[in-house]
Amino acid sequence: MTALAEPPKLDDAAPRKLPLAQKISERWPAWGSIFIGYFVLLIIYFPILWLMILSISSEPLTGFAGDWTLRWYDDMLYGTGQREGEAYAVNSRVFDPLFLSLKLAFITAALCMVASLLIGPILPRVRFRGPLLLGYLMPLMVPGIVASVSLFLFYRLGLHWKMGEWSLGLAHFVWAFPFALLAMLVVASRFDARLLEAAADLGASPWRRFWQIQVPILKPGIFAAGFFGFLLSFNELPFSIFMRAGDITLPIYLWIQSGAHNSSVPLIFALSTLITIASIILTFIAIKVAFGERTVRATDVKKT
Amino acid sequence: MAVINASGSASVSDAVRVAGGEQILEVVNATHRYGEVTALDHVSITARRGEFLTLLGESGSGKTTLLRIIAGLERPSAINRITIDGTDATLLPANKRNTTTVFQHYALFPHMSVGENIEYGLRVRGMPKPERRQRAEKVLELIRLPGLYERRVHQLSGGQKQRIALARALVTEPAILLLDEPLGALDEKLRIDMQVELKELHERLGLTFIYVTHSQEEALTMSDRILLMRHGRVVQEGPPTDLFERPVARFVAEFMNVENLLDGTIERASGAEATVRIGSHLLRGPWTGRGAAMPGTKACVAVRAERIQLGPAPSHDAQSINHLPCRPGVTIYKGKYVDQMLGTEIGPVKARVWDRSMEISTATAFWWRANDCAIMPVESE
Repeated sequence: MTALAEPPKLDDAAPRKLPLAQKISERWPAWGSIFIGYFVLLIIYFPILWLMILSISSEPLTGFAGDWTLRWYDDMLYGTGQREGEAYAVNSRVFDPLFLSLKLAFITAALCMVASLLIGPILPRVRFRGPLLLGYLMPLMVPGIVASVSLFLFYRLGLHWKMGEWSLGLAHFVWAFPFALLAMLVVASRFDARLLEAAADLGASPWRRFWQIQVPILKPGIFAAGFFGFLLSFNELPFSIFMRAGDITLPIYLWIQSGAHNSSVPLIFALSTLITIASIILTFIAIKVAFGERTVRATDVKKT
Repeated sequence: MAVINASGSASVSDAVRVAGGEQILEVVNATHRYGEVTALDHVSITARRGEFLTLLGESGSGKTTLLRIIAGLERPSAINRITIDGTDATLLPANKRNTTTVFQHYALFPHMSVGENIEYGLRVRGMPKPERRQRAEKVLELIRLPGLYERRVHQLSGGQKQRIALARALVTEPAILLLDEPLGALDEKLRIDMQVELKELHERLGLTFIYVTHSQEEALTMSDRILLMRHGRVVQEGPPTDLFERPVARFVAEFMNVENLLDGTIERASGAEATVRIGSHLLRGPWTGRGAAMPGTKACVAVRAERIQLGPAPSHDAQSINHLPCRPGVTIYKGKYVDQMLGTEIGPVKARVWDRSMEISTATAFWWRANDCAIMPVESE
């Protein structure tokens, strides 16, 4: 053989494992994040899950699941007194609050959509945008109970106006508008105002520029504002407590019922479950509409 | 002819009268300020029907402001009059003016298809759908993008977007088409193709184009007439050859990329000729400044690198030749040609050599014909 050196052994090809001690010492922050992350999810969602399970259990008040039944849903819809054989009567004790809440939610949603459409696109371009934005978002930071008490004191004791559905609607708007505005701003801050110039340049009147350029492009923001307005109004409790006359919204109904000792308490489990599911679906739609990808057309996919 | 106002638009209006074309645009005495900054300083311009007029200048020269004032997108701080195609447009908003703009950023409507974008100007004019579609398809063929009608805007390439923006502006058949650095966002190859295409389109359609650019090369390629702007004023105005060959001020020569700008003092002046002293050297050339050359004032001799010949000056005709000794400096290979730097007593000079067989690094002298340079004042105005 010649003096040629032997080719080096291909040691590098064999995978080498990280020692466990090193693994832990290097990665414990990540593991901590993972553990806490799951734990937080658990404390948020376990009670909701538990509530859902109990809503289909025959003895929810005992806290033990099992003996599955849809009886509470049945009772909620048709009243507790009426069992098979008797004529079903719609349970107005649940449905009146439900309809009032739906009505308020739709009104709040509409107000939020209009107000955020008019304010949202202009806000990023005005001089005092920072302080203004903070002003609009203040109801998020002021404790709900403080804001609602001040609203109540102003209208009831200051102006001597009678509370009623109008004041509920007003309070819900005050509460929901900051969220609606934020949702609109996500879309509006990406809006290129130069498009309006281009439209004007092509001959579009201010009215057409608004309806044909601004509104269609901001549509996701408008919908998102509406969804948030709807959801926040539908679930709102502290403002409603102060700003109502004798009106009972759904959350107030739930609040009253959960504190009462009577046979209709198990209904709350069923009702809460339905509201939770409806809210989750609505939220998903709202997020999808506001932040979702632009819908991809068939022509995009075909291009290869 | 229209009465000319006192603020000095006389020369421009005269130029139009000489050219004989029908006037389609007149801006009289426009001034615009953004806070403390004067973007446009008492500018008056005119354009003939069918003209390709270029507003040339650096950023901040006021060229885009002027274009936006013509479009109606900017309301000037002070103005006497804007007339567009015989209509007094001074107080008209943008949507009532018979002009359309091609924006540098395209400004295509993202929620509309290509077809809907192009048709938008017709739609706001209340044209029925089938007719609009027909016109849109036709203009798509004109810009050589047939079949893109249904395409979404976000599926287009930069070059396609640029053409769609052009189509959208063309389809309404405006009196004046305004183009605001339309090729600025394209890569070089595409930009050069589009220059030719725009020029052809202009000739085919016979429309009036007002074109804003900072590129002297674009301006030279396409324009019938160029307005070179600086600090909100028009520095020089004329056909491309005028700006290229006869700059009225050092700034113009510099902007038109004249490589050698040699500053000195006027020694003698006689009519169209001037002699400039730089150190111990006297350089002759045609005077291209606006007024008469004043001996003792600062002046600049502008000579392009390709006009400089290496070697001893030919002995005959010495009166019409400028010649200087030199020592050769760096040679810069440029592919098609070679740039030879020369060290001289009046500062560095760049010579461009196309003949590759030439022995350049041994040159000890260089010369150029007096008529191949221009002499102009250092200060503009």
